[in-house]
Amino acid sequence: MAEGGGQDPNDKAREEFFSEAQELIDGLGRDLLAIDEALKGGSVPPDAINDVFRGVHTLKGLTGVFGAGRMAGLSHVLEDLLDDVRLGRVPMGPSVLDLLFQSVSLYVRLLAVESGAATDPLSELDDLLSTLGQFSHKGGGAKPGTATQYDLDPGIFGVLTEYEEHRLRSNIQEGIALYRIRVLFPLATIDSALENLKVRAKPLGEIVTYLPTGSGSDVDTIELDILMASNASIHELRAGLAGAGITVEAVPKRSPTSSSRPAMPATPTPATPATPTTPVSAAVMPSESPRATTTTAMPSRTDSSSPRDSIASTSGDIPSVPATPAFKAVRQGSQGPVPARQEVSLRSVVQTVRVDIRKLDRLMTIVGELAIVRTALSRLSERARAGAGDPRELLIELGRLHRVFERHLSQMQSGILEVRMVPLGQAFDKLGRIVRQISRVHGKLVNLVVTGAETEIDKLIVEELSDPLMHMIRNAIDHGIESSDERVRAGKPAAGTIALNAFQKGNQVVIEVEDDGHGMDRAKILSVAIERGMLTPEEAHDLSTREVLSLVFLAGFTTKGEATDLSGRGVGLDVVRTNIGKLGGVIDITSEMGIGTKMTITLPITLAIINVLLVDVSERLFAVPLANVTEAIVLDEGHVRTVEAREMLSVRGTSLPICRLANLFRIPPRDRPRVRSFVVITELGERRLGFVVDEVLGQQDIVIKPLGKSLKSVRGFAGATELGDQRLVLVIDAAELIDEVLASGESRLLALAGSHHVSPMLAKAEEA
Amino acid sequence: MVALAKMAAERRALRRSGDGGKRIEHLALSLAGEKYAVPIAHVGEILRLLPITEVPRAPSDVLGVISVRGRLVTVVDLRRRLGVHESPFDGKTRILLSDVGLAESIGLVVDEVHQVWRLAAEEIEAASVLGGEPPAHIAGLGRPAGGNGEVFVILNLRPILAAL
Repeated sequence: MAEGGGQDPNDKAREEFFSEAQELIDGLGRDLLAIDEALKGGSVPPDAINDVFRGVHTLKGLTGVFGAGRMAGLSHVLEDLLDDVRLGRVPMGPSVLDLLFQSVSLYVRLLAVESGAATDPLSELDDLLSTLGQFSHKGGGAKPGTATQYDLDPGIFGVLTEYEEHRLRSNIQEGIALYRIRVLFPLATIDSALENLKVRAKPLGEIVTYLPTGSGSDVDTIELDILMASNASIHELRAGLAGAGITVEAVPKRSPTSSSRPAMPATPTPATPATPTTPVSAAVMPSESPRATTTTAMPSRTDSSSPRDSIASTSGDIPSVPATPAFKAVRQGSQGPVPARQEVSLRSVVQTVRVDIRKLDRLMTIVGELAIVRTALSRLSERARAGAGDPRELLIELGRLHRVFERHLSQMQSGILEVRMVPLGQAFDKLGRIVRQISRVHGKLVNLVVTGAETEIDKLIVEELSDPLMHMIRNAIDHGIESSDERVRAGKPAAGTIALNAFQKGNQVVIEVEDDGHGMDRAKILSVAIERGMLTPEEAHDLSTREVLSLVFLAGFTTKGEATDLSGRGVGLDVVRTNIGKLGGVIDITSEMGIGTKMTITLPITLAIINVLLVDVSERLFAVPLANVTEAIVLDEGHVRTVEAREMLSVRGTSLPICRLANLFRIPPRDRPRVRSFVVITELGERRLGFVVDEVLGQQDIVIKPLGKSLKSVRGFAGATELGDQRLVLVIDAAELIDEVLASGESRLLALAGSHHVSPMLAKAEEA
Repeated sequence: MVALAKMAAERRALRRSGDGGKRIEHLALSLAGEKYAVPIAHVGEILRLLPITEVPRAPSDVLGVISVRGRLVTVVDLRRRLGVHESPFDGKTRILLSDVGLAESIGLVVDEVHQVWRLAAEEIEAASVLGGEPPAHIAGLGRPAGGNGEVFVILNLRPILAAL
């Protein structure tokens, strides 16, 4: 017993550690790419560096907890470096960025080591660690004295965090004007209101810090003093930030003669008289005495002799701002140690199910509507029980309620589906890193241009899409994009472009991977295919261009003479096609010599709800996904012939292989043979197969649920679904069954291929 | 997430230690007329017999799948799995949902469930008393002090289910 249950939570926790670490590492890669982009544009937004810093910080904590010592060690050193970058001690440049990218790929491998999936890259880690060490602290400290030109309270630097101070100084250094914004927030909504203000302020400039002024017109409001650096004029700022209770003014430049006048209330108000010095305020205001708060209108400081800012002094109210959680949050947000705050916010991004709250709100609304229906229903049943009212009227009312209920239920269904939808960007993000890495290895210049990353698709599909997309991109870089020299000679820009486009098209999502490389050479593909015995020269002669291009999806096909470490081993595109097929999608390819190649994936938006055809086989129900069904016809036994030990049915002049499901599933036949049976014709690419069933019961939308792991070895079922009457029905995996049933036949067909107009290999290729 | 898993671990530990010192609760059950028992911690739920949907071409001891509040559960005939006599289902037939810390909870069909025995260490005999090399799924023999000489085989569900 003890050994039974004890193992589980640990395994689970470990699993969660891996997924969480993986997400963090992915996030790092994404942030680094953003910085890479920004660097090309000249300047790196401090936010981006902060994102990386906080990611590494969280990773450090996580790996530390799980005893992944080497990852924690790397994180520690990286954190130091990033802190220096953040504070401007080390400039962010290509060399630092390279190191960071290296670190990310090392993280990936170290994580693999932790899970026992890879061998130790120990020496590389040591190399990287020593390089990182050299970088840290080689820059000098922050340059002091630049802030004096502004009329700021010198005491303010005691309140700012080191980071805020750095930002203040560097903004001043860059000659960006400082503004002071005073905002009155209702306490109840301060979080959202402040967030809103930040969003509006972002395009205008950078918020250096915000501090409570300690005054509010009443206990329900709080006034914040925001120090903002901006290149915008004061009018633009006023226009952009306009709102109730917001005033914007410029921080005056200090004239040589003026005395030091504090522009900011340098000290935030302590929480409440009842709670002396909270940990936060203790950290930022070591000099403050808790007693002072109860007696003075403004908290006293050691240098309280300096005249108060006018805003603070004009407010005659007692600054007894209640220590509501909202208030504390603001204080923590503004002054708490930066990493601590950021860890929290990052977690909310990484750990949540990533459901847009608006989606949940919509669901909530529908639930409310359903509750109304329930009330109406219970009133109706009361009336019916009491025998009051015309029965016909009751029936009409019942019918109406039923329709309302049905409508809300379908809204609910689509709402839940929407919750499952995630942006494709989740799969695309990793690709940017791959492109950067592969193009470096190859010495090719490649730009990745992504459009439509916001296109949403079922979470399940996104997960499964990463690998196929990676293969396709590798393939495009390896086979498609030429070297820079070659490109210039061909009159193309030196840097190749891979465009990754996604968009929705009806109930499907289309993803294109397009390169502007040299395109695919029909003759070369054909000669390789012939060389490898995939087809005869005669067969090759008759193929259309599309058919030729499809050949690259066949297993074992490669045009590269030598396998590189990237691609060219002939595994890749066939795997891509298989994986896309598993998701119910198709892949297509077009290419033009000298211009480029485009591969197009078309996928269903969701896998969760599918339309099925319910069939009866010896009184057992099965569901066949309608996506695979072309038609259902009555079986005419007179048209069944046996060819090569396979039953073939003549349907409108063509031969259709058929398979009796009762036999395939070894279900004992019913006692009385049926008068007639049906054939459900399914199609997978070029292959068709008819399933013989006893009865076709109609179609239905179902939610498919996977069978447990214990039934993994059982082939032919995609899952099961519960019907309205609580019966469980197995959902047939038509693709798998077609594969299974026709596989045995295909080897025989291959022998006949010579006489056939098209070989089965090609038939396979054409599925794409 | 990590914190949640930790909490679950603590809860489990609490549950174990809270069983009144070293006594461990066992659920007694019948298979082919013989008494068996399983640690109750390995049983998530006891269900009456539900309609089971057969899965064609599944291993012979897999009876099919049922839906437990919307979740698909594979049902295994424990009698067939252990190779004992299978009497037809009746009103006493039950499905035990396993909870042994594997990813999947499996339904196990048993002929009847009885009481819960709280067994102290000295009331459990090692499986080796059966002689020879006892199979992995036999954890020992239960001999409850107040059980009027009752003896039952204590099953370890883990090896039984891990092989699925």
